[in-house]
Amino acid sequence: MGRQIAHRLLISIPALVGVLFLCFCLMQVVPSDPAMIIAGPDAKKETVDAIRKDLGLDRPIPIQFFDYIVRVAQGDLGRSIISNKKVIEELSQTVGPTVELMLGAMLLAVPIGMALGTLAAVNRGSIVDRIIMAFSVAGVSMPVFFIGLILIQYVGFKWALLPFTGREGPVWAGGLPSLILPAVTLGAVLIGPISRLTRTAVLEVLGADFVRTARAKGLRETAVIVHHALRNALIPVVTLIGLQAAFLLGGAVVTETMFAWPGVGRLAVGAIVSSDFPTAQGAIMILAMAFLLINLIVDVLYVFLDPRVQRG
Amino acid sequence: MTVTAASDLPAEPAQRETSHRAHVLRRLFRDKIAFGAAIVLASVALAAIFAPWIAPHDPYLTDLSKVMQPPSEQHWFGTDNTGRDILSRIIFGARNTLMMGLCGVLIGGLLGGTLGILAAFYRRADGYIMRVVDIMLAFPAILIGLAVAAIFGAGLTAVLIALVVSDIPGVARVARGSAMGVMGQEFMEAGRAVGVSDFTLIWRYLTLNCISTIFVYLTLRFGQTILIGSALGFLGMGAQPPTAELGMMAAQGRDFLFMAPHIATIPSLAIFVIVLAANLLGDALRDVLDPRLQT
Repeated sequence: MGRQIAHRLLISIPALVGVLFLCFCLMQVVPSDPAMIIAGPDAKKETVDAIRKDLGLDRPIPIQFFDYIVRVAQGDLGRSIISNKKVIEELSQTVGPTVELMLGAMLLAVPIGMALGTLAAVNRGSIVDRIIMAFSVAGVSMPVFFIGLILIQYVGFKWALLPFTGREGPVWAGGLPSLILPAVTLGAVLIGPISRLTRTAVLEVLGADFVRTARAKGLRETAVIVHHALRNALIPVVTLIGLQAAFLLGGAVVTETMFAWPGVGRLAVGAIVSSDFPTAQGAIMILAMAFLLINLIVDVLYVFLDPRVQRG
Repeated sequence: MTVTAASDLPAEPAQRETSHRAHVLRRLFRDKIAFGAAIVLASVALAAIFAPWIAPHDPYLTDLSKVMQPPSEQHWFGTDNTGRDILSRIIFGARNTLMMGLCGVLIGGLLGGTLGILAAFYRRADGYIMRVVDIMLAFPAILIGLAVAAIFGAGLTAVLIALVVSDIPGVARVARGSAMGVMGQEFMEAGRAVGVSDFTLIWRYLTLNCISTIFVYLTLRFGQTILIGSALGFLGMGAQPPTAELGMMAAQGRDFLFMAPHIATIPSLAIFVIVLAANLLGDALRDVLDPRLQT
């Protein structure tokens, strides 16, 4: 198993370098010369050159890229142009809320999606199956912000049931109410694909020999479905969650922006809108790395869930 | 991958093309849902194409005496915060949104398809091409959109680049899988044996046999591509005001959600209808043309 995980880690290195290079490019295209900005408008050419040399801007691009990687590894992502705070500090404040939002959405979407998918599979062809599948196609076709807009308008504003702007603190410190609407918005988008795939996976497993054996030895239908079918159907579902990570991340950016949730996505959007390149670069990097990490975790989980992968 | 590659694609004789096409259409339209979806999509597309003639009002004409009016006889979908007719803006917005989705899927499909087919044909390049594709797959589309918008500035071009880049890896994988199946067929070997040039082999023997699989995959991607594009529009990375684009219109209406909810909800609903129709049609098309692509 260790070898599998090591192999997977090795594969993510080129992707990581790709992410870093993209972020490095982001720093390169800052429309104005950073040295000029630091030196001020009336500075002499020699001063600008000196600053440029000081910043390492006169060296070839590959070396600058290498320096950049070293700096990133040391946690130095530069300073925000707007707030003049260190980017790494701004990021460290926003990562928590984003993780919280994503976990909340998953905790909601995975059980509901799997339950609906199993229900549809067990009642294949019936009206229940049709309704659930119609619901899931509708869910897949729904823009994230549509669900959010409706929730804000009704649950948040008209009925005033839950807060809909900002975060009132961590979940364990009374922040739960403010998490609910964003998490439901983000989770709702995931229910469709998860239920759809669970249905396919359960249907496939229900036809398998070991399910017939389980039935033949007189197990109750619930036991057959929960212990035998669903457990084996977990593998494709876990893979799907990995694939949905991109979806989840994109959705999180939109959700955070809508609900003024102080996460990385909102930081990134705000930084881009206000041309705060260092912050934008840092936020995009963190989001991309989070994505790589989720996929890595999913692959490792995969090894645990399906012993066949280990041997293969 | 949700989409399993077709590894045993049978080669379809070209002379049966027309009867085959008629058969596909007949089967497709026996499916009432697919038929309805096709009609919805076709009407939206027609409205978008003929927008200047169909739109009842000028989508950019502001009228401060008619601000934020709810739907009425004169303005079917009401007016927005500057008194512009929302229906007309939706029609023009659908034009940009559809165009964005279509260009994204077509350009992405062309580039991705070429990469995938070349990877299957030139086995030596396979490893390199697919590694690049894997790295591209590592970037969520919204993130690419944010990065591109940060580098080149927000606008429809930025969104388009993001959509193309996000569509390439999936298409490349599907095309490669499908092409690998065709590569194993005898007629490929026969073609090589009689000295057919690489170009003809790739185009007439390989590509034409993979095209229906790629086409089905692209139809399935179309809805997703529009969703991503409109999400980027919603975040302000896409079309800039006063240009009408559905995602951006929803974002603008957000500020007036409590006074005039229709400004934000109607464009969102329009996106939902377009994507739903595209997804239903794509599903039906897949069932008829290429059931192996089933998730």
